[in-house]
Amino acid sequence: MAIEWYLVLSAMLFSIGFAGVLVRRNPVVVLLCLELMLSGGALAMLSFSRLHGDGDGQVFVLMVLVVAAAEVVVGLGLVVAMFRRRIPLDVDEMKELRG
Amino acid sequence: MNAASWGWLVLLFPLLGSIFIGLTFRRIPPKAAGLVGIAAIAAAFICGIAAVISLQGEPAESRHVADSLWTYASVGGLSIDLGIYVDPLSAFMVLVVTGVSSLIHIYSYSYMKSDAGYHRFFSYLNFFVFSMLLLVLAGNFVLLVVGWAFVGFASYALISYWYRREAATRAGMKAFVINVVGDIGLVLAAILIFRELGVIDYGAVFEKAPEVFTTTNEWTAVAICLLLLVGAFAKSAQMPFHTWLADAMEGPTPVSSLIHAATMVTAGVYLVARAHPLFELAPAAADVAAIVGLVTLLVAGTIAIVVTDLKRIIAYSTMSQIGYMFVAVGIGAYSAGMFHLMTHAFFKALLFMAAGSVIAAMANIQNIDRMKGFYKAMPFTAAMLIIGALALSGFPGTSGWFSKDEIIDFAAFRGGWYEIFAIGGYIGAFMTAIYSFRIIFRILPGPPCEEAAHLIETGHVVHGEPVNPATGEKEDIEVGYPGEDHHIAEQAMGMKIGMSVLGFLALVGGLVQIPGVTEVITHFLEPTFEDSPLAAMHPTVAEAWKGLAKGAVISVVGIAFTWWLYIGRPSVPETLRRTFSPIYTLFINKWYGDEIIDFLIVKPVKGFGRFANNWFERYAIGGLTNGTIAIVRSASGAVRDLQTGMLRGYALLMAVGTVAILLYFLIRGL
Amino acid sequence: MLSAILWTPLAFGLISLLAPRRFAPWVAGTGTLITLVLAAIVAIGFDSSQGLQYVVDVTWIPGLGINYSLGIDGISVFLVLLTALAWVPAVAFTASRGTDRAGLFYFMLLAGQTATLGAFLAQDLLLFVLFFDLMIVPFYFLFGIWGSDREGVTAGSATVKMIVFTLIGSLLMLVGAVAVGVIAADGGQLTFNMAELAEKGLPSGSQNWIFWFFAAAFLVKMPAFPLHGWMPDAYRAAPLPALAVFSAVLSKVGAYGFLKVVLPIMPDAVELFQTTMLIIALGSIIYGSVMAFTKIDLRLILGFSSVAQLGFITLGIFALDSTGANGALLQMINHGLVVVPAFLIVALIAERTGSEDIGPMGGLAKKAPVFAVIFLIVTMGTLAIPGSANFIGEFYILNGVFNTDVAIAIIASSGVALAAFYALRMYQRTMHNPLPEGSDSREISVRDGLMIVPIVLIMIVLAFCPQIILGDTRDSVDATVAVSKEAAQ
Repeated sequence: MAIEWYLVLSAMLFSIGFAGVLVRRNPVVVLLCLELMLSGGALAMLSFSRLHGDGDGQVFVLMVLVVAAAEVVVGLGLVVAMFRRRIPLDVDEMKELRG
Repeated sequence: MNAASWGWLVLLFPLLGSIFIGLTFRRIPPKAAGLVGIAAIAAAFICGIAAVISLQGEPAESRHVADSLWTYASVGGLSIDLGIYVDPLSAFMVLVVTGVSSLIHIYSYSYMKSDAGYHRFFSYLNFFVFSMLLLVLAGNFVLLVVGWAFVGFASYALISYWYRREAATRAGMKAFVINVVGDIGLVLAAILIFRELGVIDYGAVFEKAPEVFTTTNEWTAVAICLLLLVGAFAKSAQMPFHTWLADAMEGPTPVSSLIHAATMVTAGVYLVARAHPLFELAPAAADVAAIVGLVTLLVAGTIAIVVTDLKRIIAYSTMSQIGYMFVAVGIGAYSAGMFHLMTHAFFKALLFMAAGSVIAAMANIQNIDRMKGFYKAMPFTAAMLIIGALALSGFPGTSGWFSKDEIIDFAAFRGGWYEIFAIGGYIGAFMTAIYSFRIIFRILPGPPCEEAAHLIETGHVVHGEPVNPATGEKEDIEVGYPGEDHHIAEQAMGMKIGMSVLGFLALVGGLVQIPGVTEVITHFLEPTFEDSPLAAMHPTVAEAWKGLAKGAVISVVGIAFTWWLYIGRPSVPETLRRTFSPIYTLFINKWYGDEIIDFLIVKPVKGFGRFANNWFERYAIGGLTNGTIAIVRSASGAVRDLQTGMLRGYALLMAVGTVAILLYFLIRGL
Repeated sequence: MLSAILWTPLAFGLISLLAPRRFAPWVAGTGTLITLVLAAIVAIGFDSSQGLQYVVDVTWIPGLGINYSLGIDGISVFLVLLTALAWVPAVAFTASRGTDRAGLFYFMLLAGQTATLGAFLAQDLLLFVLFFDLMIVPFYFLFGIWGSDREGVTAGSATVKMIVFTLIGSLLMLVGAVAVGVIAADGGQLTFNMAELAEKGLPSGSQNWIFWFFAAAFLVKMPAFPLHGWMPDAYRAAPLPALAVFSAVLSKVGAYGFLKVVLPIMPDAVELFQTTMLIIALGSIIYGSVMAFTKIDLRLILGFSSVAQLGFITLGIFALDSTGANGALLQMINHGLVVVPAFLIVALIAERTGSEDIGPMGGLAKKAPVFAVIFLIVTMGTLAIPGSANFIGEFYILNGVFNTDVAIAIIASSGVALAAFYALRMYQRTMHNPLPEGSDSREISVRDGLMIVPIVLIMIVLAFCPQIILGDTRDSVDATVAVSKEAAQ
């Protein structure tokens, strides 16, 4: 199978994820979409790893998975904290960092 | 031990005294502090005598010693030693300073007895003597400036001694700032000397000066001497730097006596005598010294005739007498100038002491209009006042007669236009007789005034409430004010001792320098002035005696005239005042000296300050600063607007940025 | 050794930040004392006959030719000692009065010390620039967080003003420093070592603009007229102990920069702009003095008097004369020694009267003779009374300028008279005259005396023998000045 298919799929995953990040306002969904983007990137690396026949890309992917897991932990923790404090689950409402 | 070692000891004792009294403040009884102070100065006096003896043991041509402890500062070829220079001139000054100081310390021991700041007073006073001796003994021009400024500081501290009187602090400030102007003159002179000669020590400077300052380079020497004169005039209260001296009378009377009559204010005269090799190379500058001296002596004389504050009369008389000394050293009569400096120290210190006694009896009132009949109330003080006034007005036989007329003789002897100084000197002498006996005839005879009567009846001094003479407010005497008790010479041993010794000296001190008979001072100072052609000139003995006779006549006539004015026809002064009211106004306002300085210097500087503060700082500097800040603010504001806080906005921006970068590489790659 | 001096304050600062609250002052105090002892050992071991000593030279960023290079020479030795000394009373004073967020305060204060020491010790131009810029950061926080608001000006806006001004200067200097390195390398290996840069030299055309980039940074830091606009607000806001070291030491870094960096590396430009700099210095003297006697806030009197004093120092440096430059260096030390006690005295006066305006003050000497005497000595130092080391400094400065330009020397000397007026006015208005109600004339406590008196004693010792300093600084300063003199010929 040619590499193009894998790359197209990874690009689609990434774009869908990115579009989700841009349009959705619920932080849980935003996190989900971020995961999609990460998966897209990981898939591309895996494909190239396979293509070149060395393990570098796979090592990268492992790293990405670990980071993604950590990110989810923090992100969901934030969401839970927001929920507990009855802060509306809407990323547009959180603008305290405005300069 | 040679003279220099004695010289160091002379310096050491007063310094130690000052430090010791300062450090043991409130730990030793006031009496002990006073005694330590007296002992320190007396020890310095004894060392001074030892230095003179050791100097006299040398042959005349090597009667000068320079010695240095360590290198004070040395950079770029300008090396300054912590060194002293002892020769007959400085030894003479040491004797005058320590001698008179000892007596005034003894006087102060009693006079200041009730003052709460006794320790402080003696610590300052000892420090003053140390500074004055440093000034006199300094071995180079930089150390001279140090001594010069230290006496200025001591004078400031003592003028402002009663520091909670605003008049006293203001007077102190005025004296200090004017003296700093003088210091600057000296500093610039020292720098110029170093630039021209490459040396700064007295001996080397005077040796090199004739080679460098030839007729082609005369104006540099004149510039140096004029700068020296700025310092000299400021310290010696000569025109136009004279205004501080009268205000300095805010200090305690012993301070006026010691600093503002006997010693510090004559430092300028000493400086000209010390630097005479330079002044002889710059005759124009020497003439300036003499002319300023003459003008000051006449102007101050006229003011002294009209003012009514007892201490200020004496202060203006001091200015006038220092004018004589400047005339003397300006025209080359060095030993006559120094002689007058010495006798003046005697009789002027005495007059101040006697005045202090009178003022104490008046419970700090200084206006002579209020005083009357003290002859009966205070016979001793009255006698001392009369001796002082006689010597001051040059009554035949007294010390002032010999010294003042020696100056005038020399001026007449030099002839030419120097005759002016002789004529001016005689006019001044006539005024001197008037103002000195004006004091006598106004306060001694007649029916006793309230305070004098109280003294006669009860034998005690009036113990008025301590009030500020300027404002009339009641003063708190805890610290920094004269105490409630006042001490007069009749009842205080210390005052009596100090005054009688000085009274004796004022009467007979002139006998050391009788023309053709003794001439001790001329001979003693000869080694210092041996290089000077002017000092070698002498009027003959006959001429000198002729001059003395003229002086005697003027003095006696002057005293008689004053008697006629104030005793014979008491209505005359009032008539005169009314007839010549514009002149009187001019005199009583001190020739508007304060106002002129105010207009020329103080006002412009203050105006510039207001301009700088209200206008320049606010608009120019503020504009520059706030403008810069505003630019930075607006630039940062533009960047800040991007920070919307919208998470999705950031994400979009990031994506756009990434895409832009990728596109850039893509296009470049093509 | 120098690394130890440099990093000790920061290390102790970190510890005091982390230590339990009540230990923080002790930790910070110990840190400053150790620094002082180390600096004293270095100063005693300093040999004036050799140039750079105690050299530390480690490659830091080889690609850019930046080295961690420290050293001490005649110019910096006493400035390092002054820095080590000045922080001790500042920390002690804060400790005795207490402060909120103490750990953070000491950390900032000590970080400031490390940065200042770094500026004096650095022998690498970029390292110098780095420390020079770092210096201002802790003081930004010190002034902003612990400062006090005044009418019309909050501590925050005052510090913003300060940091914007100094940063503009610093950034210009950074550009200048990079330019110096690049131009001097001329395509070859980059180096920022100051001595090597001075040896290589720059083309005079580039010197001329780089000179102003450096001058901007140094003149702002001093501050010199007319770039002192940030000073009044910042001085009024600052907490006094921090202000004491700021005014005493940080202002000297600017003057030091001229002597250490500008003179050797840009001799042609120095020669070209000599008169301009002399006039700026003269402007600082006159303007600072005049402003000082129109102000009634003690901090501003001292602040503007610093402007005037730094004017004298600049004057001495740009006289390009051995006596002038040595006088200037001596005056840097003297001024530092005067300013630290002066600001602490202001704090003590404020404690007694509840105000820093001399308008309603007076009579404090009544029950406090010792306090008054200490203040009097400091005042006399400020006005450089002959007999003080300050006078010798000014004397040499004036002598140097006199050899360069007589007119400027004479005008500058009028600054001395003005100094006498404003300094004495400050003393009299606080200590003399009647004591108003509500003021508490209280003697200085032994504890406070221990902070101030040692410095006053050092002033007195120096008054007797300023040669202690001049002897060590002379050779280095002469060498620096000689470079510019050669350029002039």
